[in-house]
Amino acid sequence: MSSKGIRIEGLKKRYGGGDTAVHALKDVAMDVAPGEVVGLIGPSGSGKSTLLKCLGAVIDPTAGRMTLGDEVIYDDGWKVRDLRALRRDRIGFVFQAPYLIPFLDVIDNVALLPMLAGVPNAEAREQALELLTALDVHHRARAMPSQLSGGEQQRVAIARGLVNRPPVILADEPTAPLDSERAMAVIRILNDMARKFETAVIVVTHDEKIIPTFKRIYHIRDGVTHEEAGEGRGFD
Amino acid sequence: MRRLPFQGRTLALVAVIVPLLALFVYVALRSGPLAPVSVTVASVETRAITPALFGIGTVQTRYTYRIGPTFAGRVKRLDVHVGDRVKAGQVLGEMDPVDLDQRIRAQGAALKRAEAALREAAARQNFARSQARRYEQLFAVRTISEELATTKHQELQIADAALSGAQEELIRARSDGEALVAQRNNLRLVAPVDGLVAVRDVDPGTTIVAGQPVVEVIAPESLWINARFDQVSASGLGAGLPASVVLRSRNGQALTGRVLRVEPMADAVTEETLAKVAFDSRPEPLPPIGELAEVTIELPALPAAPVIPNAAIRREAGQVGVWKIVDGDARFTPVKLGVGDLDGHVQVLEGVRDGEQVVVYSEKALTAGSRIDVVDDIPGVPR
Amino acid sequence: MISLAGRDILHAWGKFVFTGIGLGLLIGVTLTMAGVYRGMVDDGRALLDNSGADLWVVQKDTLGPYAESSSVNDDAYRTLLAMPGIAQAVNVTYLTMQVRRGDLDVRAMVVGIAPGRPGIPGWPPYLVAGRQITRGHYEAVADIASGFRLGDRVAIRRNHYVVVGLTRRMVSSSGDPMVFIPLKDAQEAQFLKDNDAIWQSRRRTGANPAFNRPGVPDLLDAVIASQSTNAFVNAVLVTLEPGHAPEEIARSVGRWKRLTAYTRPQMEEILVGKLIATSARQIGMFLVILAVVSAAIVAFIIYTLTMDKIREIAVLKLIGTRNRTIAAMIMQQALALGLIGFVVGKITATFAAPLFPKYVLLVPFDSIAGFFAVLAICVLASVVAIRMALRIDPAEAIGG
Repeated sequence: MSSKGIRIEGLKKRYGGGDTAVHALKDVAMDVAPGEVVGLIGPSGSGKSTLLKCLGAVIDPTAGRMTLGDEVIYDDGWKVRDLRALRRDRIGFVFQAPYLIPFLDVIDNVALLPMLAGVPNAEAREQALELLTALDVHHRARAMPSQLSGGEQQRVAIARGLVNRPPVILADEPTAPLDSERAMAVIRILNDMARKFETAVIVVTHDEKIIPTFKRIYHIRDGVTHEEAGEGRGFD
Repeated sequence: MRRLPFQGRTLALVAVIVPLLALFVYVALRSGPLAPVSVTVASVETRAITPALFGIGTVQTRYTYRIGPTFAGRVKRLDVHVGDRVKAGQVLGEMDPVDLDQRIRAQGAALKRAEAALREAAARQNFARSQARRYEQLFAVRTISEELATTKHQELQIADAALSGAQEELIRARSDGEALVAQRNNLRLVAPVDGLVAVRDVDPGTTIVAGQPVVEVIAPESLWINARFDQVSASGLGAGLPASVVLRSRNGQALTGRVLRVEPMADAVTEETLAKVAFDSRPEPLPPIGELAEVTIELPALPAAPVIPNAAIRREAGQVGVWKIVDGDARFTPVKLGVGDLDGHVQVLEGVRDGEQVVVYSEKALTAGSRIDVVDDIPGVPR
Repeated sequence: MISLAGRDILHAWGKFVFTGIGLGLLIGVTLTMAGVYRGMVDDGRALLDNSGADLWVVQKDTLGPYAESSSVNDDAYRTLLAMPGIAQAVNVTYLTMQVRRGDLDVRAMVVGIAPGRPGIPGWPPYLVAGRQITRGHYEAVADIASGFRLGDRVAIRRNHYVVVGLTRRMVSSSGDPMVFIPLKDAQEAQFLKDNDAIWQSRRRTGANPAFNRPGVPDLLDAVIASQSTNAFVNAVLVTLEPGHAPEEIARSVGRWKRLTAYTRPQMEEILVGKLIATSARQIGMFLVILAVVSAAIVAFIIYTLTMDKIREIAVLKLIGTRNRTIAAMIMQQALALGLIGFVVGKITATFAAPLFPKYVLLVPFDSIAGFFAVLAICVLASVVAIRMALRIDPAEAIGG
């Protein structure tokens, strides 16, 4: 899968219409290269979540243009017909909480995505195991999510986000419930994985601990993004 | 890829689901129409049976003497009461004679008067005879006229007639008197035989019509049972067969007896054959007349033949038969039945042979497609 | 692709099985209720089957002998026997009365059976213990539901009877056990109430100057004797020779003998259609209510199970699970629940049925129909939950 990251230009989102219309996103522009991890920071009500939902193709933007890899997926309207397949195959999600499916064991939680795409079970599990190995949780492959620690769960969640090798991963507050050590570990993993799998990673966060690790940060305020250079300290 | 973490869970699930399914299959197969029918079987045996007849009857006496006057009248006295033993010839009571005694006395007087008249006639005849003889001798010597002699002869003849008339009159008067005495005796109620007063219908002073009984005397030696047998099951009933009699008041105590005779007249309405059964010895104390009795008559034992319990007899599509066990399946076989005994054994004339197994009891009605399950006892039967 | 429903059930199988068992008990009650109805119908049929007759000849224009009282002269069978096509005509009496054994008083249907031997219409067609009646008087065969045992002496009115045989499923249309006694005894039992009543009746007759005339001393005895006989039976059971249509014979009996004859379908119509019609409707109503309650409960359970999984469903949707897959998951769970419920219900009903005082007949057809009804109810009940699941917004998975 060719991965040239994600590029967003002039994205707008308006809720409602007429006088009561709320312009949640006014002008969003982002450009994340494969292997790059950027932060997306903004106060509450700044449009962070709306942007994430637009990027995640669960709500429709009002206007703008999104390019995923080398395919324009949105240009004042969706350009791909099957948004589910888009979400499944080309966008990886990592949530604040791991949101693993409690009735599936670890490997099937990860393998579920390729399975949904029609990959045979055995092959899907092989892919999943590969990811789990990369994330160093393969020894818990047959455990149930409830038997894992928080960090392990988050790693499994990351594995799930990566299993279909999407060009972009949207991480929504992935470190919020974790202490700083584990938060750092997660960010490190995201960085490692971004490099390893050539994936663009957008981390939505307001976790002060991890902000310094980003090389580039997008601030969003009143529906407008501003790009700035981060400290890019990396990991200690 | 076998999933180890599921094994404990899966085992537990299997532990619940498998018994449940097994139970379900068991339930589906063992209940409802698919379930086999529990039956018990018995072998056909060849043996002799003693058939018997069962009937009920009432205790009666062979002779009942209803004693009463031959003409209407009033009962003057009655000396016996119910339960009294009486001897033959004993006076039990008497009817009011009304004027009979006076009439007997008058008849006595009339008799005496007739005797007097006879004596008078005899005297007259005696005199007439001597007169006639004398005049005859006188006439022979011609001392008197022929006319006179003839007259005297005639007088003798008249006297003769008067005498015989008086004699007859005496006989009449005597017979009249005897007749009245006989009538007087007839007013007495006399026991004709030794017996027991069973009924006393009226009391002294009651006026009764001619022929109405005053007392009934029975002869206890002549007690018998008037037994009734349903015509359907009365074949073989005949005089002389031994009988066992159970009186309603003496349940469990059987008295022996013998069939005295089978009545030539059967009861057309109740469809019963009547028979009289006499006791071998007089039961003591005497049972009350009219008491209900159960009579079992033993018929001569029959030669040995295949015998089945009567509970095995079934009816299928208009045919009487049994369910025979053939290769573990029940198969209906029509049979021809002979006689049975009172214990429920029935001879089979045709249809089954000695040693064959037949279904006796079954949990429900058998049909051609029934699967059977041979058991010792039908479940649910109280012991 | 793995089965999401299966995995979910395996994950929470305890909850599932217990919910299923609870539902199963409800289904068991429903199946039992259907069984009660079938049992009532079967009681009526058993009554007809056990009598072994092709035709029932009763008093003219009555619905006798089971649904209405009927009396026929006890010699009517002779004239019936003379009719062409009639193989057997047998008197029978039916009277529901108290049968006493010691202090125990059992309400039973006393059946007077004509003398003869087994196989005659009216006789118990099969036994479970003992023997058939052999004596013409004072023997009885009782249904085991009466609680009598072999050798018991039971009293019916003034006479005592020895129980010589036991039978099963011989019940009246209202489920009372039958007690078979010889016909003559039964006729007497129908007429003779008790000794006091006889004495009073005699005294009443004696007080009537028309019967107690001084000049005719035997008249009173004759009148009393004529009062103490009962020359009536309730019905004549008729079997036909092969090749004769029951309807035709019934018509000709009705026309020429001034009696009414019913064929088997007509009797069934009387018993099932008239005697137990309202009870049947009552039970039908119960069945409908139970079905609705079951449906509501299944719907509620499935809805709750789905509600518990809103977050998971949102995640599944977000990561691209098709609606079809999610709907299938919910419906499969509903069906699995129904399946467990049905199995448990069937087992419960089967084991509970013999405990009921009246006969409960579980018909396989009812079970099969019940099975499909349960599945249909589960599918319908899952629709609500499916609708809700499909409305879940995948965006919910993304916080904020």
